[in-house]
Amino acid sequence: MSVVEVLLGIDLGSTTTKAIALDRSGRIIGRGITNTRSNYEVASQIVRDEALVQSRFELVRHAMAADPELAGIEKKFIGSLVRNFRQRQHLEQLEWLESELRRCADAPRYAPNREAVREALSHICQAMRARVSGHFSELAVRKSDFFRDLAAVDYVQAAEQFSDAKHASFDVLCGLFDAAILVVENAAGDWAFERHAGPALEQTLAAAPADIREREARLRAAVESVGSLELRVLGIIGTGYGRQRLPFPKEQIRSEILCHGLGAHAMFAGTRTVLDIGGQDTKAIQVDGAGIVTSFQMNDRCAAGCGRYLGYIADEMNLGLHELGKLAQESTCSVKINSTCTVFAGAELRDRLSLGQKVPDILAGLHRAIMLRAMSLLARSGGISDEFTFTGGVARNPAAVSALQGLVQQNYGVRKLNISPESIYTGALGAALFAQRAAEGGNAA
Amino acid sequence: MSTEECILAAGVDVGSSAVKFALVRDGGNGDASVLALHNERIRRRDLRKVIREGYEASLEAAGVRQKDISYTASTGEGELVDFRRGHFYGMTTHARGAVFLLPGIGAVIDIGALHARAMRVDEHSRVMAYRMTSQCASGSGQFLENVARYLGIMLEDVGPLSCEAKNPESVSSICAVLAETDVINMVSRGISRCDILKGIHLSMAGRYTKLLRSIDACGDVAITGGLAADIGLCRALEEKIAEEKLAMRVRTHPRSIYAGAIGAALWGAYRHRVLARRTEVVA
Repeated sequence: MSVVEVLLGIDLGSTTTKAIALDRSGRIIGRGITNTRSNYEVASQIVRDEALVQSRFELVRHAMAADPELAGIEKKFIGSLVRNFRQRQHLEQLEWLESELRRCADAPRYAPNREAVREALSHICQAMRARVSGHFSELAVRKSDFFRDLAAVDYVQAAEQFSDAKHASFDVLCGLFDAAILVVENAAGDWAFERHAGPALEQTLAAAPADIREREARLRAAVESVGSLELRVLGIIGTGYGRQRLPFPKEQIRSEILCHGLGAHAMFAGTRTVLDIGGQDTKAIQVDGAGIVTSFQMNDRCAAGCGRYLGYIADEMNLGLHELGKLAQESTCSVKINSTCTVFAGAELRDRLSLGQKVPDILAGLHRAIMLRAMSLLARSGGISDEFTFTGGVARNPAAVSALQGLVQQNYGVRKLNISPESIYTGALGAALFAQRAAEGGNAA
Repeated sequence: MSTEECILAAGVDVGSSAVKFALVRDGGNGDASVLALHNERIRRRDLRKVIREGYEASLEAAGVRQKDISYTASTGEGELVDFRRGHFYGMTTHARGAVFLLPGIGAVIDIGALHARAMRVDEHSRVMAYRMTSQCASGSGQFLENVARYLGIMLEDVGPLSCEAKNPESVSSICAVLAETDVINMVSRGISRCDILKGIHLSMAGRYTKLLRSIDACGDVAITGGLAADIGLCRALEEKIAEEKLAMRVRTHPRSIYAGAIGAALWGAYRHRVLARRTEVVA
């Protein structure tokens, strides 16, 4: 059996957990991301598995690109293979969620209305299943990639439809979901490549156009050869907010400041200042030419100014984090948000909405508010030097970026702003690079 | 119309996480009785719809029609109650409702989803002094609700679970949203749900005793607002009061969470009579 050696970095953040898989040459071959949940071990297991599964897809892509008969169709083919794979994972989790919902509904308190509750659950789960293929179609725009978020939106919509105030109230149904989803996401699943890749391949081939089906035998061979590879993890380093609780020995843990500095340097070698807005903290970091941290400032006292601020707002509005920035960009006249506290900003948002103010204008104000806080942190860490790299989940938000650009221009003049589309993985990349260094240094961790 | 005639009045208390409704029959001589109460949690639904449906449900429960209601008053964030006749400030309605439910009290602490406010009241439910929590949601009801959701606990189980705590875990982080992450950490450290909830209750109670002290409250203190239904919080407040040796006694009433709505209905009935009397004089 042939072996591919990989190095892993895991960044356990407060909102999301990320993993990066590197091959021996330091090239990124797989990524994994999931929502953090109270069982950190499960969260890190999931991203680790996902990064390894993605590595296999990447290896299939390499195999296809190297085959003259398959080169050129790999992007489309693997895109569809991955979607089918994810859909199967999603359906499996949905099945699990349904059985957990039924179990929760067996609690004595529901006894008087058990039949009504069960019936509502059946309808809801059926409606949820009916929506799955839509989530994973080629042109689908998903609010989130996480099972929890997708399931919650579908569930609440169906629950509104199938609840009845007397026997199976909306409130009871929501409570059941909250309890069941916790069980589902805190128990380790098994997302093994082998189990879903085969059926996903069949599904992809069955729906493929004739020119792809003609090459079926070679495609099968490519997928199967990668399926039988052994992915050997040579080293693994953990970082992030939850790093102290990762099931790793101490020498496999690095601080998130170090990982972010190194990750940003690896993405953009000219980086001197890094702003990372993560879920529960904001970091302003100054690095030298080798990616080594020279000074930093951190806010982890208050959620205002962190990614969680926008996450909270998105929750309030029943929006996915993906959509928030796009909406804010439609603003013509940003409002000034009076509240500092995240929870109060959420209430202010509701008040403003009920007064008829426009959603984009309010959201633009909220984005500016979070960036004003980041600016003061940057100033305290030593200002903004060229080049300036913005990382963390918030860097994917276009409205946050344009608010930041405006403020940087105003306060520091022209600076080159680097943002990688993969910026959410900066910490994990830094960790994976530390893992690579450790592996190169032989046994010295 | 005679001013002593019995009239029906409705109160709608719009909070940020639930809307409370009260229907009251008011005899005009201080004799009033509650006909129906209704609590509708918003859970991100369309607020206008929640208000309309909750109002109709409470009319149905009392077996009366909307045209029988002489005065509908809103309180709290009542702008969306488009069928109201008047609006009363939350502080006055909670004071009125609390004195109605628990005669003899000297102070009220209204604990809602976002704010807590302490009021010193007299026997006519006039507010003599008050103090509110600042512009930060630390220790708010919303925070507790989020934590409950995170722990997979139904809101009504929060209190009973908290009462079973053996070693309450103190909550270190101050920010409501980050304390939420603290809770995730506690769970992953293996601390029981009971101890987490009790720890939060105690830290909240600490804030409330500070508020109560700042208005020189003494004697019986009524808890109103959505969190009055949380037995764990009430216990924690009792414990804090005992610990700080304050001359206060916590009092609750099964209908405490409706104090704002009841107060609004009572004030509405009162205003209706005043207006009716004026019309009579003019006529």
